[in-house]
Amino acid sequence: MPRVGSSLTPEAPALHITDEAAITPAHGEELRVEALVSDGESVAQGQPLLRLRAMPDMYLTAPMAGRVAKIELRPGHRLSQMVLFHEAGGDRYAYDVSLAGADADELRRVLQMSGLWRQFRSRPFGRVPKPGAIPAAIFVIATDSRPDAPDPAPQLTHREAEFSRGLDALARLSEARIFLCQAEASSYTGALPAGVSRVITGKVHPNGLSGLMIHRHMPARVEAPVWDIHAEDVADIGSFLETGYVPATRVVSISGSGDALREAKLVQCQPGADLRGLSQPLLRPGPHVVVSGSFLDGRPAHWLSLRDRQVTVLTRDTATNNRHWFNEALDHVSRRAPIIPTAALDLAFGGVLPAAALVRVLASGDVEGFTRLGGLSLLEEDLALADYATGARPRLMTQVRAILDRIEEEEGVA
Amino acid sequence: MRRGMWDREMVAALLLMASMPMVLTWLWFGGVEAIGRLALTLIISGLWHMVFMLARAQPPSLAGALSAIAVAMLAPEDLGLIRLALGVSFGTVAAELVFGGWGRNVLNPATVTIAFLGFGFPAEPWPEFVAPVIWAALPALGIGAMFGILSMRVIFAAFVALGIAYFGGDPAISVILPTAVLVLALLVTDPVAGASTSLGRWLYGAAYGGFVILFAYEWEGAAPVQMAVSAAFLASLFAPLFDEAALALWVRRRRKRHG
Repeated sequence: MPRVGSSLTPEAPALHITDEAAITPAHGEELRVEALVSDGESVAQGQPLLRLRAMPDMYLTAPMAGRVAKIELRPGHRLSQMVLFHEAGGDRYAYDVSLAGADADELRRVLQMSGLWRQFRSRPFGRVPKPGAIPAAIFVIATDSRPDAPDPAPQLTHREAEFSRGLDALARLSEARIFLCQAEASSYTGALPAGVSRVITGKVHPNGLSGLMIHRHMPARVEAPVWDIHAEDVADIGSFLETGYVPATRVVSISGSGDALREAKLVQCQPGADLRGLSQPLLRPGPHVVVSGSFLDGRPAHWLSLRDRQVTVLTRDTATNNRHWFNEALDHVSRRAPIIPTAALDLAFGGVLPAAALVRVLASGDVEGFTRLGGLSLLEEDLALADYATGARPRLMTQVRAILDRIEEEEGVA
Repeated sequence: MRRGMWDREMVAALLLMASMPMVLTWLWFGGVEAIGRLALTLIISGLWHMVFMLARAQPPSLAGALSAIAVAMLAPEDLGLIRLALGVSFGTVAAELVFGGWGRNVLNPATVTIAFLGFGFPAEPWPEFVAPVIWAALPALGIGAMFGILSMRVIFAAFVALGIAYFGGDPAISVILPTAVLVLALLVTDPVAGASTSLGRWLYGAAYGGFVILFAYEWEGAAPVQMAVSAAFLASLFAPLFDEAALALWVRRRRKRHG
């Protein structure tokens, strides 16, 4: 696939606040919420807008200053989306963070109130951790090896003070070991607080995936969950604890196939930004799909998803299907072709997992075997490359989600 | 969103391509007789794939052609049409198609076919190969390893085992060595029936080499092809065991490190 991806310049990404933005649940996440504002109300950037009914300490906050356009709830107060219109010159919501420096409980409270807590992801199962949850380790991911992903290193060098304040805060949050994962020893050279260990991952995909690093250094178990968080989110936490304002933007790369996009670009936009608005100035004419995430693990979306820092634009496949009716029928009724264990499959797992055995336990839905092979450290994104490489049907990403959901249900932690 | 290229049929096509140096050389030196044998095995194996496609909706695979080639090259000679057809039918159906087609089979169908014919009709002479066909096995292995469809570990382990015995200087080994390399390329390196973990692959390749050496010393009066195919058959029976052992070891090592 010809890709536009070379002109991603890291220095000073242009600010691009889209006219609309939305708060949406992450893929597969169920948020039962209570709205704190109503349609048409003006809100400040960072202001708490929604509260979780099951966990009253957890809030979702406004990604930008503006006006509430609509709140869409499905039955049972389940959030579908909450859309906001941008208004220039709006206020920023200030939090009182004066006590968070000394008290760990207070630190948790302000992080949960400001919505920054939602950037944590807990494994196994890949959910936002519960308010009182205690991790066995926290992995700070300062690398992203997915194709055309923005490199966090220049941002971190630029925000070194904030980042190290964020790391301090993580260290105060729990007793957990903290790992800072970076592509090369030279990617981030700032001083680290005591108790933070550096992990060098290498630049080649899939080595930068947090799942593989967690698998290698501190496998997640149901009774010992491991959290991961992007390094820029840690810097956001640092900046928040300094100023009391929730940082308003994140660096996002827009890339895609050469026939869908004129140029790749790095921009700063608000969380939950409107993907059409972001990619509009760069598009070539023709049908296309906008994906939140990379082309390996992304999903077609209207809004930038919770932890995504990448937008991919692909041409939509409009070719009419001219296949013979017999092949079509055979495809419908036959079992899908199995995956042949080749070097491609081994490399798609970075060579650290027994790939063929893992694919087999996934296909047979063998929970015990999956746990034994360290599957609890994995999430969908960790199998995205294997999915792409082997063209597996049904997709490994779907299979791993299904088996994780089953384990979650059996363990009764849902 | 997008799909890569390493699906089953692509791997089968690449395996077929990798085996071409060997196959074409063999056809060149074998002449009309070789072409006739190959056509026969291809037709019979193709017919069974067709039957399973129509009756059980199993899409046929190019790997069927791969097995047909191996059988045509390695099966005993002078079997006659009926017995060869019987052997190929047994191997294709019982070792591959009833399991759900290529990729779900446990043993290599060609290995099963040849072993079946060898044990069933022990009086028939085994084929012998001219030197260029043997040499052509090396580029076949090289192409396969380069594309990652044949395991480098299996090839290395087998070569190391055979090499040690060869440089040990026993004449029995130098007789069987060329054929052992050919069978390595045709049967042993099959990615489906072989081992799939890294340690398992080392053990599997070494086991093949070990069995070849054992037969070279202890099996009086057997033809080189017979010994090499039997070694391939035995090694592939052990492959799941090697994998299981490698996984158990891997899990134990991780448990020790991570608690």
